[in-house]
Amino acid sequence: MTAHRRLRDALVAAGAVPASHIPEESTGRGDLLEVAGAELVEGPDLTVHPLEAAATPAAVAFLDGIERWLVTCYDGVIPIVRGFVAAAIRRRAATRRMATALEATREFLVAPVPLLRPGVRAALEASGIDVIDVSDKAEQAAQPGRALEAARRAVENARVALEKTLAERHAAGLGPEEWLVVDGVLSESAALSRHPRALGVIKSHAAQYFEGDALTRALTVPDQHRSSVFRPRGRARHEVYSWYLRLWPWEGNDLLFGLVRVEARAHADTVAAASRVSGWLARERAPLATPDRRWDRLLYPMHDVETYLRARAPRDLVPPTASRLPLALPRRAS
Amino acid sequence: MIQQRGASSRAGAAPIGRVVATELKPATPHQFHFWTANETTIGIGAIVRVEEEGSGKGEGGRVVYGVVTDAFAYSDLATPLHDVVGAEGDPARAAESPTVRQEIRLWTAAVLRQEPEEPLQPVPLGRVCVADDADVAQALRMDAYLHSATPTGIPLGLYTSGGLEAPVYLDADFLLGPEAAHLNISGVSGLATKTSAVEFLLSSIFQHFPAHKGRVAALCFNVKGPDLCFLDQPGSLDDADRRRYERLGVSPEPFARVRYYAPFKADGVNLNTLRTHPDLAGDVEPLVWGLEEVLDFAEVLLNRDDIDAKADAFIDFLSDRVVRREFDDGFGGTHRVQTFADLDRLFRAIFDGLENAGRSDMWRTHHVATIRKVRNRLSNISTRCKGLVTDDGPSNDLPWGRFEARTVYVVDIANVDPLGQDLVFTRVVSELRERLERRDLGVDAVVVFVDELNKYAPGDGPETYVRKMLLDISERGRYLGLVLFGAEQFRSQVHRRVVGNAATIVYGRMDYDELATPGYQVLTPATKIKLATLPVGELMVRHPHFTQPVFVRFPRPAVLRGRDGVERFPPAADLPFEDAVVRQMVRLDRRIRPNEVKDLIADRAPDDVRRALAATRRARPDDPLAFFRRSLGRAVPAPASERPREPVAPLNPIGDEPY
Repeated sequence: MTAHRRLRDALVAAGAVPASHIPEESTGRGDLLEVAGAELVEGPDLTVHPLEAAATPAAVAFLDGIERWLVTCYDGVIPIVRGFVAAAIRRRAATRRMATALEATREFLVAPVPLLRPGVRAALEASGIDVIDVSDKAEQAAQPGRALEAARRAVENARVALEKTLAERHAAGLGPEEWLVVDGVLSESAALSRHPRALGVIKSHAAQYFEGDALTRALTVPDQHRSSVFRPRGRARHEVYSWYLRLWPWEGNDLLFGLVRVEARAHADTVAAASRVSGWLARERAPLATPDRRWDRLLYPMHDVETYLRARAPRDLVPPTASRLPLALPRRAS
Repeated sequence: MIQQRGASSRAGAAPIGRVVATELKPATPHQFHFWTANETTIGIGAIVRVEEEGSGKGEGGRVVYGVVTDAFAYSDLATPLHDVVGAEGDPARAAESPTVRQEIRLWTAAVLRQEPEEPLQPVPLGRVCVADDADVAQALRMDAYLHSATPTGIPLGLYTSGGLEAPVYLDADFLLGPEAAHLNISGVSGLATKTSAVEFLLSSIFQHFPAHKGRVAALCFNVKGPDLCFLDQPGSLDDADRRRYERLGVSPEPFARVRYYAPFKADGVNLNTLRTHPDLAGDVEPLVWGLEEVLDFAEVLLNRDDIDAKADAFIDFLSDRVVRREFDDGFGGTHRVQTFADLDRLFRAIFDGLENAGRSDMWRTHHVATIRKVRNRLSNISTRCKGLVTDDGPSNDLPWGRFEARTVYVVDIANVDPLGQDLVFTRVVSELRERLERRDLGVDAVVVFVDELNKYAPGDGPETYVRKMLLDISERGRYLGLVLFGAEQFRSQVHRRVVGNAATIVYGRMDYDELATPGYQVLTPATKIKLATLPVGELMVRHPHFTQPVFVRFPRPAVLRGRDGVERFPPAADLPFEDAVVRQMVRLDRRIRPNEVKDLIADRAPDDVRRALAATRRARPDDPLAFFRRSLGRAVPAPASERPREPVAPLNPIGDEPY
């Protein structure tokens, strides 16, 4: 019997109601919902630049992470969430094959601990499993829907933290010709945002940095072109430079088809190297990252890291393909 | 926890794969699937061991042995279209992508053995390891006959995979009887695999046939060129062959005892074989049969139209009542029929007697027309099989009753016409069977090697005596110790009962059309491909103990290959009659001077010389020349020719007169 099964039994014994529900959001992350500004650092106006035909660096490491969570029990209406996050860095060398360089996992429980009944709380504490308390959002947690949102954010934060730890550790030992490409923003980490060979590749575009003609030019960058480099404003914790890069022609698809945003350290060298770096990044569009639905923006090595992590994730956290059947049949009235 | 990769922490035998099972590809008691790294030594035919991980309480899990029967490779590519899109339609660019797609090597294996065997369960999803020597023995259930109180293992070849060379043994009880018997080997021609495999296996049998099973010999029909003509001569082996011999515990030596038999050519003095080089011809015995040897098998030589019930009855009469005994022809004459010539004298006496007695229709209940017909057909045999069947000379036969253990008897009928081949097959096999039944052969078991079964035991076509004989061996031989090693190019064209009764089936490189026939449906496409491209020296073997066919590699036989043999020992040209007689006499006694023989046979009728020579050969006297002289008898001078008559002038010479 696994530790989680024992815990679940203990929670049920303490009065919690067993549950098995995996929200769809648990398999991905939410978009950033903010409107940010930007400051151009390459020319007075946002323009479009062709890419340079550049060779791919001999060694590139790719970092990605996954998160999984499920409601394992309800104490009254308060969900107790089991979370799992994992991150890995897979390195590609001259063989063109990916091999795992670093990986990390973390399993934990998420619950508004003070709101739980004493017996359930005691069972949680006795389990020995990390518990993330979301009681600071107690007002939200009192409602099951809000409690789930709080749990989702807690799991996401755990993933981001794990990714950051892994990325910083790897970046510290990065070879002189080796690059680190991170799935997501660099600006969460001071070390990464200062590293000369660390790149962040962002696939979601909920945060916008321009308006009017500049926005139009930014979002309609042609295939195999990039925008001018700019300094994003808003949510970024650490200063970075960024630019848009079109991997596939968007005409005939949607506006954001094949569009990624690249982050690199805020340095003049970044501006000078943007077309060259974009050149080899654009080559990463092949092989296609299918069958992932985001293949137009997902670099294949990232897809590889994600596949690797998904394959190693606990199987009981994978959304079931079959319909959800009641676990306990209602007692027939006599 | 953060794990740094690079150093392996495995202990013990490193697994090379893991069993996987899905709803679509589940593991069953007879089949399982496993994956390996892309770079692996595993291939079709490899034997693997699956270890079930215990529950950590120290108990051993289930162990399953399997042989790889199929292989799959695929990537994470959803559809080929995505590859085209990724490469923008340019195949060259596909190879330039910075990352290689994830690939898998997935293997399908058929279960060879499970431990424990009961209860029989699906293969556990455990780790997969490469089999070692002991595993191969376990997997193929060889432990039962290799490590028993009376081992019966016969080395066949080496199972090779990833640098491992594990000996594979056949069970003598299932190869040479009594549990099962017979071996059938098929494969395309020209690769020297079939003959070589049989030569090696015979050598292995001779060296490893268990003493408690008695004495074994082999009788090989050489039906093609010089294939089996040099079994006593050493062939060339390389280091790899010698290593394989050592691994198999077989001494790389040519056969120590080989006896060659070949009929004469039509001239009756030159042997009809390619082993006629002066250095070797001395140990080829002529195979010569007379009436006694042939009469019981006359049906082989006569077609169905000849052998009606009446003729058959008359031949039986001759065989039972006439041949080899004093016989009164009913007209006052007494005959002792031992040769075709004697028989013809009897026929003449019968016809003369009937004519003189005024009876011309019946003799001893047989109609004269039947007698004439049988006479005609029988007297024709020695003409049709000239060189093999003699009219009036003594015969020279295989050493019936004196077969020696671990000796190969080669009967070279490669250049004999098909009728003669049929006769040789039928008579030799019949004799072997009868003598083995009576335990009167000199050995307890005989391996009969027949190549070209397509020709001699075809699946279709008219019933022939040869096919009947081969069917008889196949179906009843194992009880007698009469074991058929048959070879052919197309197994599908050999009689089903002949191949079906072979307990051990060996396949060399196969023709793909042949592999498409129904008999090969049990093989996977991958196994068929491997069979179609099998290198020389590699075979696929089925044996009663092996649940699945296994691939083995055998060393080249340590004997001179036929083709090399005729280069090293080119056949001698046919000698003139006198020289051929001299050579045979000198063979009997090296002290004989050629001129003495030539003087003796000068002006003598060739038939008389042949008869005397055959008698001398048969008697093996201490003084062959004296015996030959006596057998030849005194030369009877031809009667002096009468004085030529003077021509008689015509009574009415043609003159100038007009009348």
